[in-house]
Amino acid sequence: MKNSKTLAILKDNLWTNNPIFIQILGICSTLAVTNNLRNTVVMTLGVSFATALGSMTLSAMKDLIPRKVRMIIQVLVLSFFVILIDILLRAYLPEVSKQLGPYVGLIITNCILMGRAEAFAQANKPLLSFWDGLTSGLGYMAVLLAIAVVRELLGFGTLFGLRIMPEGFVTWTIMIMAPSAFFLAAMVMWWAKNKQAARAAKAKAPTQGGKA
Amino acid sequence: MKKESLGYVVIFTFVVCALFVFVLAAANQFTKAQATANREFTEKAAVLDALGIAWNDKAQAASIYDAQVTRIDGSSPRAYRSTIDGTEYLAVEQSGAGLWGTITIILAATPDAGRIRGIQLIAQNETPGLGGRIGEAWFLSQFRGEKSDGGVRVATGAESKGTGDTNPDNGVLDGVSGASRTSSAFEAIVNNALKRVRAVAGGTL
Repeated sequence: MKNSKTLAILKDNLWTNNPIFIQILGICSTLAVTNNLRNTVVMTLGVSFATALGSMTLSAMKDLIPRKVRMIIQVLVLSFFVILIDILLRAYLPEVSKQLGPYVGLIITNCILMGRAEAFAQANKPLLSFWDGLTSGLGYMAVLLAIAVVRELLGFGTLFGLRIMPEGFVTWTIMIMAPSAFFLAAMVMWWAKNKQAARAAKAKAPTQGGKA
Repeated sequence: MKKESLGYVVIFTFVVCALFVFVLAAANQFTKAQATANREFTEKAAVLDALGIAWNDKAQAASIYDAQVTRIDGSSPRAYRSTIDGTEYLAVEQSGAGLWGTITIILAATPDAGRIRGIQLIAQNETPGLGGRIGEAWFLSQFRGEKSDGGVRVATGAESKGTGDTNPDNGVLDGVSGASRTSSAFEAIVNNALKRVRAVAGGTL
């Protein structure tokens, strides 16, 4: 029973209710970080951990939070984890911290954190909320990585900074800039919606056939 | 006390804020020494890199820095003096506005600011992949040994090849393609740093 629920959450966050192509959350960071795979990996890991830990904490204290101030408390707890990550990186992984620069602080502006706190952690147990936050982050990561592969490959001719395209390859500057993320994200949404619609139509088909 | 009553809301919010802020303050305090040591190392390494002095690891960088570089007392922002192979060089820290945020560099040059020894980037918040490329080796290394006649010029638009200028005597460098504003901002910061080198050499700290 419990296993089926965790699996259902995983499937929901990765596919049926993916934060990017179904809920359309976290689009700002999709535009900002996906021109470079390394930044994408770090950003999505940061979002995954902050969402998971934030959701777990908020779920643990949900019975104590008055409804009037719940959003303030959610922002407080989520930003707490983001700042904590920033402090720890600065002390123990200064190189990573330097490369990330402003991105760590930007994790808090990601709507997925608040979205999961409001939609899930408020009504579920801490461990399940942790799992929900983590898988939401993974759903976000999967889409961003796919977009980043296309953008870095065509924009720089590299993947993770390693040269992939031949020397004479003319890089597509548009791929480095935000507009390319707009149309790539839209293409992912189009593909996913189509796929899901086709599946839904297939599931319905036998009954419709019977009626006709 | 009722959960939705004013008293509970005020006390709850206060306690939760105090608790989380306390943990953050404690984490900050606990890691402060480590973070300061990291920052100091980054600064020393940046000065050595700008001066073109090679180093291998943290400990070596610290000992080379102590042996070869002296910070000029009372200078603010920081200025440094170093003698390499009998030639004196000055290094200064310079900040200026980029396209999005502040760009901070260390520039090393001869005391008359006639030739740049090297530049190292300390901090920037430019667009990753565009303006952010000012941190790349091809961009920074073209400044090494560049002649400056009252300043240098970073070429933008069609004039820039975007791959790095190879002539150290023309006082012109290649800007980053697609990041003309960041390139121009960088030019202004470099020229201000060169002015500062002359000022420091003249005794103005």
